[in-house]
Amino acid sequence: MITAKTIVCDGNEAAAWGAVLSRPDMVAVYPITPQSSLAEYLSQFIADGILDAELLDVEGEHSVLSVLHGAALAGARTYTATCGQGLAFMFEPYFRTPPLRLPIVTSLVTRDGITPQCVWGGQQDAMTVKDVGWVHMYCETVQEVLDTLIMAYRIAEHRQVMLPVNVNHDGNYLSYGVCRMELPGQAEVDAFLGPKDINWHVALDPDRPMAVDPLTGGAGGPGPALFVSYRKGLCDGMQHALRVIEEVHDEWALRFGRRWAPLVEEYKLDDADFAIVTIGSMTGAAKDAVDQARARGERVGLIKVKTFRPFPIEAMVRAVSKVEALGVVDRAVSFGWNSGPLHQEVLGALYYGRRPIPAISFIGGLAGADLTVGHFRRVIEQTAAARWTGPGQAPIWLNEND
Amino acid sequence: MGNAFNTITFDKGRCDGCGDCMTVCAKLPGSAGRSRLSVIVAPDRSDFELAICRQCGQPKCVMNCPAGALAKGEQDGIVRWEGAKCVGCLLCTVGCRYGGIVPHAEARQMSKCDQCEGDPACVTVCKSGALSFNRAGALYNRVGNLEDLFAPGLSACQGCNSELLIRHTLRHVGPETVVATPPGCIAGMGAVGYNGQTGTKVPVFHPLLTNTASMLTGIRRTYKRRGRDVTALALAGDGGVVDVGFQSLSGAAERGEELLFICVDNEGYMNTGMQRSGSTSYGSWTSTTPVGKRMHGKSRDSKDMPLMMMMHRCEYVATASLGFMDDYYAKLDKAIAAAKRGMAYIHVYAPCPTGWRFPSSATIETCRKSVETNFVTLWEYTPDAGLRFTRPVDNPIPVEEYLRLFGKYRHLSPEQVTHIRQTTVDKVKHLKMHARAAEEARQANDVPLKGE
Amino acid sequence: MNQTTYLIAGSSHAAIEAVAAIRMVDPEGEVVMATADQRLPYSPTILPYVVSGRTSPETATLRGAAWLEANRVRFLAASPIAEVQPDQRQVRMADGAVWRYERLLLATGARPALPPIAGLAAQPHHVLRTVEDALALQAAIAGARQAVILGAGLVGLHAAETMRKAGLGVTVIEQKSQVLPGYFDGEASRMIEKAFRDHGIEMVMGETAAAVEAQDDKGFRLQLAGGGERAGDLLLIAAGVRPVTDFLAGSGVDLGQGVLVDARMRTSVPNVWAAGDVAQADRFLDGVKAMAGILPNAVEQGRIAGADMAGDSAVKPFPGSVPLNTFAYFGNHAISVGALDEAGAVIETHAGDGCYIRLVIAEGRLRGISAINHVVDAGLMWQLILRRIDLAPVLQDFLARPHEIGRVLMSRLWR
Repeated sequence: MITAKTIVCDGNEAAAWGAVLSRPDMVAVYPITPQSSLAEYLSQFIADGILDAELLDVEGEHSVLSVLHGAALAGARTYTATCGQGLAFMFEPYFRTPPLRLPIVTSLVTRDGITPQCVWGGQQDAMTVKDVGWVHMYCETVQEVLDTLIMAYRIAEHRQVMLPVNVNHDGNYLSYGVCRMELPGQAEVDAFLGPKDINWHVALDPDRPMAVDPLTGGAGGPGPALFVSYRKGLCDGMQHALRVIEEVHDEWALRFGRRWAPLVEEYKLDDADFAIVTIGSMTGAAKDAVDQARARGERVGLIKVKTFRPFPIEAMVRAVSKVEALGVVDRAVSFGWNSGPLHQEVLGALYYGRRPIPAISFIGGLAGADLTVGHFRRVIEQTAAARWTGPGQAPIWLNEND
Repeated sequence: MGNAFNTITFDKGRCDGCGDCMTVCAKLPGSAGRSRLSVIVAPDRSDFELAICRQCGQPKCVMNCPAGALAKGEQDGIVRWEGAKCVGCLLCTVGCRYGGIVPHAEARQMSKCDQCEGDPACVTVCKSGALSFNRAGALYNRVGNLEDLFAPGLSACQGCNSELLIRHTLRHVGPETVVATPPGCIAGMGAVGYNGQTGTKVPVFHPLLTNTASMLTGIRRTYKRRGRDVTALALAGDGGVVDVGFQSLSGAAERGEELLFICVDNEGYMNTGMQRSGSTSYGSWTSTTPVGKRMHGKSRDSKDMPLMMMMHRCEYVATASLGFMDDYYAKLDKAIAAAKRGMAYIHVYAPCPTGWRFPSSATIETCRKSVETNFVTLWEYTPDAGLRFTRPVDNPIPVEEYLRLFGKYRHLSPEQVTHIRQTTVDKVKHLKMHARAAEEARQANDVPLKGE
Repeated sequence: MNQTTYLIAGSSHAAIEAVAAIRMVDPEGEVVMATADQRLPYSPTILPYVVSGRTSPETATLRGAAWLEANRVRFLAASPIAEVQPDQRQVRMADGAVWRYERLLLATGARPALPPIAGLAAQPHHVLRTVEDALALQAAIAGARQAVILGAGLVGLHAAETMRKAGLGVTVIEQKSQVLPGYFDGEASRMIEKAFRDHGIEMVMGETAAAVEAQDDKGFRLQLAGGGERAGDLLLIAAGVRPVTDFLAGSGVDLGQGVLVDARMRTSVPNVWAAGDVAQADRFLDGVKAMAGILPNAVEQGRIAGADMAGDSAVKPFPGSVPLNTFAYFGNHAISVGALDEAGAVIETHAGDGCYIRLVIAEGRLRGISAINHVVDAGLMWQLILRRIDLAPVLQDFLARPHEIGRVLMSRLWR
């Protein structure tokens, strides 16, 4: 039995420990940089008997998620991790997981997309699949990776949610970044997670025979309305998730003493004139930059998005209502508005909250590039200026001249 | 459910007219020197026909007997004649349409076949294989009372043998089963149901076309981990097996996943309008290998999926055709047992009346022809025993006899026919090489076959 | 009041096959079988063999109690129907009991026809239609020396052989000019007739009895219409049968010689069917409604009637009756199927060595075949006729080897 202790590890090991403590029945692995060490840790934990789970060392990510589909339909708690092209290859079953309402937890060790060929960090992979129906939570630190992974099962298996959850941590910076971490005890985690509740609603079990996924739809008959009820149920589950994520984070804080902002973190925002918006591990450097700017007398704050899907629109509206300008830093691009995906969400929130303030799109940290305090100083400067000049039409590429 | 019975069947294509069957029959104690079956040369000398008691389901000879001297056995279906009751009125012969019961005046008896009470001597003595004892009736009795786990009214095309396959298979496999029917004809005929209704009485699902073996793996492993023996059964079309589903199946086979995987090979994507698959045979018309000025059907041979599965050293691999249900059942038995140890794969060749263009009434006939021409070979494999033919056809009838059954081959040029003839021969040769190697290994090691 | 879903009047072949056909589609419906007979179902066809001692009433039971039970048939013996009231859908039995039915099958068969012979009513004589008749005849043979048989049909000839073998002198008097009229052609009939003569039986052809009177203690003297007379001490009337329809008087059921039926054995009255010797259905060869009281027809019609009564959608209409006969006599066997005297037909006859075969072909189709001491698959030939199989491509072979070619043709139709 694992007892609470302090260890030193990287984010991939932290995720593996999070999986171990969540006691999945089945873990499926297929290696891909920068996730590979996570798969190795898990395999070794199972080999050593630290984790009692079926290890499915299958022939590709497509099968990784597919075996977990089968297992979950048979009632198993499941875990895997992937990224980049692996996620792309997994997309067919990935796309189907939310409407099947399978509470599968999967780490995305985010990686930039090819081409050019690239094995380094970036959130292009996760951002590309944001609108499929998985819950997406982005972690800032190694500790948060572990904590969020365990919380993800509570969220996924909540009867009003029943959705798969991606716990995302940035390739390279979190996957390989080693630091101190508090490992909770197994008994405490067991008490927190409670009994597994995987397939009460949809099952492939001879004791409860049912047809899973009959053809549904068509131009007439009961099909289209039935389909709508499934789609609407999925959307409802996503909306319920916002509340559940907050509740679970609250409970985690009570039980384990670590409080993470569940949806949106407001950092030095209350008296801020403007703010920068971040997501993932870049936030550490960004906060340092904010602190330095504050020391210079600039009233800048920071808004960190943890839960990107479902997008916490109310929390975001509350946050942006406090400032006069925003600089939104994306680690991925979107091909919609010629800016980053987070930037576009923020623009939507501003309209939703009836606040037509300037919001600049910054794109940085692609292909493993470091986002330093220096970069964020520039973000802060340009955001501050935007209060008077308004936003430019094009995004600002932070690493363009590195 | 009523009983079904075994029958003596006659394949005139194999008969060489040697007459051994009649000779041996005449020597039987009950025959009094006169054979109770007769093989007759057709008027044009082209082939042979058989007159024998068919042991009819509702025998008119029995109905016509005023003396109660004829009765059909309830258990074995044999129509028996009882000399002590017979009055010699010959009205039984008025009932029979096939020359199956005739007077033997000298012996004061009616001559009719009694199937040698379950072990017909004529079949045993027949060297050509023209006579066979079809035990499908016994199979039916064994499984006929088992619950049909598929719903009535599945909407398969008329003449499709998939429904036959799935009903028999699931009856046999039983209710502790989860069935995967990936997108294709079997799912399309309503196996997973429509709009919230199900087509089966066991758990059933649509996997993706690509991930049948993987999803079943997750199911089987999860139940096994909990100590439950749940059969993970795939009923997949060839597209989901040899093409886009190949990777997951190959991976599962390599890992030795305990699956009962049945590929229903109708040589293409018939459910979506008859497009070609990797299993489409050479020369076939399909909607994506059309016939025109520059194209003449499929230009490549099909993948030999069962052989590839054999190369994965699965626990059990077999080919099957529903023209030979007893053969299929014997293999299904072995596959079910093997699927508790590892991958069991059965490749069922399934002619498609709609896509191949032949009358829906001829499906079973086409199945038979496929085997009799060696276009399809029936064999099985285990890692211990290697490959073994289960119904070797040493003197196949010309493959043209098979090709001419189907509209999809109507355009074939002589060159294309030659190609098919040659590949058919080559394929059998290749399989024989494996069978010979297995036989030699067995003799060298004197290893008894598992389960024999 | 008694009531049932299916009421089957009669208990022989037609009745039994009707029950079997009903049970194919309706395992549950109530079935009552009411028969005039005293016994469990048996076939009248067996009776000559009861007389000869080749079988006994006990062994010759057609379907026993186990069959009745398995098919859930309530069996009422000695229960002849006295009246049918189709409007009320009920019948009144001879004992006064009333039965309501949903569907009624008339399979009451036939009883011996008695020719108009002066003095016959007063003169003890035998007929052969029931087991009781057979046992009485058997007993009479044991104590008789000279028999006279009126009629050279199957019953008459069977009895003649039995009596001759028992040492009696036997005279057979037949109204027609040939034996087994209507079934065998002239040549075959002559061969059969000769066999009887050769065994010392007097065959008086083209003659009828005009009157009969007692003579001596238990004997009789028979006046022939042609002027002669015959004396004897055992008189068997075997001059054919008449359908049992008297109870239908006033019922509204249309009668000809028998109960008129369509191809599904339906009578003119709703919910009433008829089959077997009582029914008058179409003949296959000319479409005329005619009596054809032979066992294979009873079987076919019983099946059809039962299926139709039970609402079997797969019921195949009656194709029409075809003359059929089998006859074993003095170690010979004769078979005839179909029509044997046809204008414009190809007729092939082979005879000799005590054997005989005759084929009648019209428009390339088989119309009839008769044979003596040839193995002929009678049922197979029947099918060749019914299916109107075109024999033209194999005609010469068929005429030379009808037995083998017939088997080839039917084998090809079956797989």
